[in-house]
Amino acid sequence: MAESRIKVLTIATWFATLVSAGVFVAVGVANAGGDTLPWLLDVALWSIAITALALITVPAPSGSRLSLGIGAGVAASVLLDDPVSLGASISIALVASWLIQRRLGVGVGRRDGDYLADALSMALYGVIYSYSLELIVVSMDLQPTWSVLAAVTLAGLGWFGVRAVVAAFVGLERSDLAGRYLWLLALEDWAVVLSMFAGGALFGLAWSVMGLWAVAVAILPYAFAHTAFERYSSTRVTYGQTIKALAQIPEVAGLAPLGHSTRTSDIAVAIAQEIGLKPTAVTELEYAALMHDVGRITLNEPAILRAGFTDEDIARWGAQIIAEAPYLQRVSELVRLQHRPYRSPGVEFDPDIPMTSKIIKVASAYDQAQIEEGLSPVESLERIHQGSAYEFDPRVAASLRRVLVFRGVIAN
Amino acid sequence: MFPNELARQHRAKVRMAIAFPIVGFAVVGVLAFAQDFPRPVWLWALFAAAFVFFEWKSVEVNDKLFASPSVMVIMTAAVIFGPESAVLGCVAMAALGLLQPEDIHDRRWFQPAVNFGQLIITATISIGVVSIILAATDPTSIPWIALASAVGAVTYGIVNYRLVAFIVSRVYGHKDVAPWSHVAQIVVPFVGMGFLGGLLGATYLLLGTAAIPLIGIVFFTGYMAFESYSRLRQAQLSTLAGFIKALEAKDLYTRGHTERVAYFSNMIGEHMGFNGTRLEIVRWSALIHDVGKLAVPRDLIRKKTRLTPEEYEEMQGHVHHVDGLLNEVEFLRPMVEIASNHHAHFDGGGYHGSNVGEGDAPSLEARILAVADSFDAMTSTRSYRVALTQDFAFRELRKHGGSQFDPEVVEAFIEALTGAGEQYGSPIEISEQEARRRAEVGMGQEHALDPMHARRRADEGRETAHG
Repeated sequence: MAESRIKVLTIATWFATLVSAGVFVAVGVANAGGDTLPWLLDVALWSIAITALALITVPAPSGSRLSLGIGAGVAASVLLDDPVSLGASISIALVASWLIQRRLGVGVGRRDGDYLADALSMALYGVIYSYSLELIVVSMDLQPTWSVLAAVTLAGLGWFGVRAVVAAFVGLERSDLAGRYLWLLALEDWAVVLSMFAGGALFGLAWSVMGLWAVAVAILPYAFAHTAFERYSSTRVTYGQTIKALAQIPEVAGLAPLGHSTRTSDIAVAIAQEIGLKPTAVTELEYAALMHDVGRITLNEPAILRAGFTDEDIARWGAQIIAEAPYLQRVSELVRLQHRPYRSPGVEFDPDIPMTSKIIKVASAYDQAQIEEGLSPVESLERIHQGSAYEFDPRVAASLRRVLVFRGVIAN
Repeated sequence: MFPNELARQHRAKVRMAIAFPIVGFAVVGVLAFAQDFPRPVWLWALFAAAFVFFEWKSVEVNDKLFASPSVMVIMTAAVIFGPESAVLGCVAMAALGLLQPEDIHDRRWFQPAVNFGQLIITATISIGVVSIILAATDPTSIPWIALASAVGAVTYGIVNYRLVAFIVSRVYGHKDVAPWSHVAQIVVPFVGMGFLGGLLGATYLLLGTAAIPLIGIVFFTGYMAFESYSRLRQAQLSTLAGFIKALEAKDLYTRGHTERVAYFSNMIGEHMGFNGTRLEIVRWSALIHDVGKLAVPRDLIRKKTRLTPEEYEEMQGHVHHVDGLLNEVEFLRPMVEIASNHHAHFDGGGYHGSNVGEGDAPSLEARILAVADSFDAMTSTRSYRVALTQDFAFRELRKHGGSQFDPEVVEAFIEALTGAGEQYGSPIEISEQEARRRAEVGMGQEHALDPMHARRRADEGRETAHG
């Protein structure tokens, strides 16, 4: 991410915080005077507040950034009485924030599809909230606060449904990403979504009973969560960078071909996403693929080089090195198994080899055929197909072909 | 450690383990008469469960600063329960804090016994403060509630801190274990947590039970995210440390070198008053200071004769490549810079890495790393000589203080190591020449990777290259 973009993002965040704080202070002061604000002013103020907060985004585990406009919309739904002003505020705000973000280019990592998903899901949220609250209040004898919670929960489910539909549409557009992978990736964000909904509802309810103190009650805990999400995502990035750097030590030592680990991991991750593995498995695979040749550092020892070694030795040494890291036990196991052929002599089918290890084997062989033997991508793919169902898993080999076609590396 | 010292510690522990629970039970007994038990009981049980959960799982924010929201839970409870039952209710919650998984698992007796009394005393005093302030002012006004619980939380932090200091000084006999100046560090987070705890209590009083799931969700998700973040950070550290350990384990002579240097650097940093992030940077720099060597072919390092200029260039090339790799990792950049300067001399001589010109003194962090690295090189057995004694190493460090090493860092290190009562190196006094002679006789055939040794020969190679 470019430095200047981060700067813009930071300035926008501060600006947005100041504007929304100003709006709430204005409403608070006006309410303290005992006047009820005219309808239009109410809508205008809420639109500005939601727009401003929608400019702040929080990184979710899936890698996308969710807009704080979700939380602001929930708060507005709790505080605005009639469906019309709620709907008006949310839609004005969403259009405005979309335009502003496109103009300023502050929506880092966000695509138009994300804005569309925001707009559609929040609009549906508003509709379900207003009508279900009415229904609940009429039909059930609940305390007012519990009715609000029930309505927020119902509308929240509707919100999630819209997101799922939008995600499916995005999936149709990207034939290289399996629907299952996209769906599970969206589910990874549940914690962020839940904290936004709860924070928004808490703010709305607290505002109605304690005024400006609600800012502290709802915003401080949410800020804590926000910081945690922010730090988690940045640490995840640097963790990946650390593993990438360590994996390249054998390469700069001249013991493995330069760039092999990065290219292998790139292909392996693409195959895993195409096949539709779980996002957590994809991350594990990414680390394992990066480090699959790390055992080669042992070749630094002239005695070992003289004595000779096999692929199995490399895999075993690598696994031993990785096993020293307490959090990478699974990755170590994947690296240990990555040299195993799909079908060993005398064994019909080896159920102990995970799909991830088979993917690494294919991705690594595909890259090796190109750099060590100078084959073209088509010839390398041909090589994989020759070993298919014996050396390599046929499902992985087929997926590799689809990935290469999607990337335009080979013709269909 | 002398046996009679251990026996004295044991007696002191037994005394503490008897005195603290007695005081605890006495306080609970008095409170049981003076206060009502909070109602509804399920609400109390909910708070008690949250308190115990947070006591179990305090999250490490950075190095020594632990974020434990348990104090916030207790302040929220104090406000909700009201003056008639707050002290008893909170003390009963706090007493459950003695249940610690590790203590139970290891069947410890000292920690749980002392914790029990300690938590009761702390909760009684701090919740007493909250109740007095609220009784004297207006228990329904939000600002007073927030203020009272902030003051209560700070009281909680300080009382707890002083009690721990008291126990440690009685058992282990350290007089200066907890200076008052450190109290400032705990005050700020406790003010924040107390303030927020009070406000959440007020929210409950105004909104009713519907507030609980909302507050719970916001906190729980935030807390889980913080925990994942903290775990991920830990994973990153242990991945790097584990890798380096696994790689250097292949070499008999440098096995454990990195870990020891990290330990010594941390010790010096602490003694010089570093804390938090700064101390962590020193430790991480030590951890990566020799990573570059891993990429250098062993036969090059073990070469007995002087390196040719080409070979020297080749070796530096490998080291620089690895530094370049690590520089790709954003948060490692400051550490790579420090590590690359650990052979730079205090007076501006020596081998310089990035961002420090010839003739300039390296950063304090790099000076610390230099002392730790050289001390470990001297006190461990190398291919070219057996280990030297600690006294000899101290004399060498002092002799080169002002030229190669920063004299202040050297003194800080000697003080810290002597103070900790630790001993490294050979127990038998021998001279440098004797150490080398013995190594020639005993291990003449073995030539292993050694950073100092290799660097020395590399420097010779460089001189040839320039000359």
